[in-house]
Amino acid sequence: MSHAKQAEIFNKNEAKVNWHDKALWYVREKRDNSAHNVKGWEHLRDSASGIKAHVLSNLDEYLIQFEQNALQNGIKVHWASDAEEHNTIIHEILKDHKAEKVVKSKSMLTEECHLNPYLEEKGIEVIDTDLGERIVQLAKEPPSHIVLPAIHKTKEEVDVLFQEHLGTKASQGDPEYLTNAARKHLRGKFLNADVAITGVNFAVADTGGFVVCTNEGNADMGAHLAKVHIACMGIEKIIPKEGHLGIFLRLLARSATGQPITTYSSHFNKPTEGKEIHIVIVDNGRTEQLSREDFRASLHCIRCGACMNTCPIYRRSGGHSYDATIPGPIGSILSPGKDLKKHSSLPFASTLCGSCSNVCPVKINIHEQLYKWRQIIVKEQPQPVVKKSILKMTGTVFSKPGLYSFIGKSARFALKYAPKSLIYSKLNAWGKARDLPEVKNENFDDWYKKRSKNNG
Amino acid sequence: MGREAILKSIKNNKPDLLSIPEIDVTQFTEEVNLIEVFKNNVNLVGGNIKEVDPQDIDVEIKKMYPNAEKIVSVADECSLGTVQISGKTDPHELNSIDLAIIKGSLGVAENGAVWISENEIVVRALPFITNDLVIVLPKDQLYLHLLHAYEIIGKRERRFGLFLSGPSKTADIEQCLVIGAQGAISLTVILI
Repeated sequence: MSHAKQAEIFNKNEAKVNWHDKALWYVREKRDNSAHNVKGWEHLRDSASGIKAHVLSNLDEYLIQFEQNALQNGIKVHWASDAEEHNTIIHEILKDHKAEKVVKSKSMLTEECHLNPYLEEKGIEVIDTDLGERIVQLAKEPPSHIVLPAIHKTKEEVDVLFQEHLGTKASQGDPEYLTNAARKHLRGKFLNADVAITGVNFAVADTGGFVVCTNEGNADMGAHLAKVHIACMGIEKIIPKEGHLGIFLRLLARSATGQPITTYSSHFNKPTEGKEIHIVIVDNGRTEQLSREDFRASLHCIRCGACMNTCPIYRRSGGHSYDATIPGPIGSILSPGKDLKKHSSLPFASTLCGSCSNVCPVKINIHEQLYKWRQIIVKEQPQPVVKKSILKMTGTVFSKPGLYSFIGKSARFALKYAPKSLIYSKLNAWGKARDLPEVKNENFDDWYKKRSKNNG
Repeated sequence: MGREAILKSIKNNKPDLLSIPEIDVTQFTEEVNLIEVFKNNVNLVGGNIKEVDPQDIDVEIKKMYPNAEKIVSVADECSLGTVQISGKTDPHELNSIDLAIIKGSLGVAENGAVWISENEIVVRALPFITNDLVIVLPKDQLYLHLLHAYEIIGKRERRFGLFLSGPSKTADIEQCLVIGAQGAISLTVILI
């Protein structure tokens, strides 16, 4: 289903859409306030963007350096070309430890690899421990935002969900009560887990360590209690030096939620005695994206979600309408690289206003890449007949001034006198939720000619 | 296998080497009162902060957490500990801890974060699993921003460490901020 069709479903509940729109804009405003408080913010963004571009140009060397240092520190390193290899590697580690219970903290990569259903099929319990992720897991839905996974759910919906699964009492959606119930429920899961799986925010080449950021503390609760910690990372998570974290951690949380830093920024370098840390380094289409000069910079992304919060389309269509692991503007430039046919409507889910590029902490030219994907898609994918014919006709009309003037006059006449049922027919998508403008008697051409005459 | 295939694919697909940018740290320099900025930011992220005379630490903590019974103290300045831990302690046993008092190495003014290394917490799970957390931090160990902080901690022995800023929190239910998600439900920084 195309993005527009999915968005239509989300838009059936107008009150919810309005709330979603405002809630995300509020997060965007918090980002602004926070960013404006930092002296040298633009220098931070420039530096982060430059470091990421440099890393991509030397990525193989940095990965080798990272692996060497991690191995020296007693961390086990695995490499996976695709999702299947990633899932198999993790399952093998679990089997080695006879693990049946896994707690997981947020990792978009494991979402991308569909790790949960894979492990569940093998009889392993996988519990998502970020509150938002636990909510969508109980609802059997994918996250709709990479930082705020349950932003599409009302508190009343969470209330009903928790009554069913956690045995809570009806509370009309009291966030404090519900969060506390989840805390108790998850505490039990942490204490009984055999293995903890986390994502990786940054992997540091010159130390072989990695950093995981959370606000809830769920990654740490999992990793420090379980015997085995598996951290999964895409190849693009590498940064050259530990000191560069000083750049990226200053940008990440401010761009994401407006916080000056996440509550916990945990630096893992060596396992505790008697325990294991594994790192799985995953390609899954990233090296292919690296080969595309126009789209390479999409690999700079540090997953802050700022482009989603600011996007007028995302805010009013919801994350699920993108039908992709990463929704929103950044997802719309990453997903077509994975499956052009499936995701061909995503680069059109944008006004090209450029707000995404303006807030991006690593300065990805998102809106320009959206435009470039459109060029490719129009060439490679069959376009709807209506769109094709209209564009062809428009081309002809624009090339003939006489015809243009005639069509303009006819359109104004029709808008004024034609019956509403005709004007707002199915062909006019613009008229679905909007009134067309009131028709003035004079057009720009007439007005301009008259003005020149009067002034001349 | 994955490794060789991935490295080969990167080699074939990567652009020509780009230089690494120079970071001009002077662009981030500000003349501010470090203690004031740090205090404001600890409050902003949901923590409490107090300047305390070292000999009054026990009294102050008792005042703030009068009901805490199972207390782990790994800060030399505090003698309120009722539960002893060592590197061999099973972290699962710490689930019933009411209060942990630990030492922080340095504070970051711009974000209210405190750097805590494994040496200072003995058991990695301690600052997360405890119900309430107190960090004792010398006030002459405050730095303006993270870049500066990384210069200082760059010399450490690397095992495990973290920047901790405020108590555990979430806004995953309709964007309503709730303090106390999966980690400690309160944080107090005691500046000495």
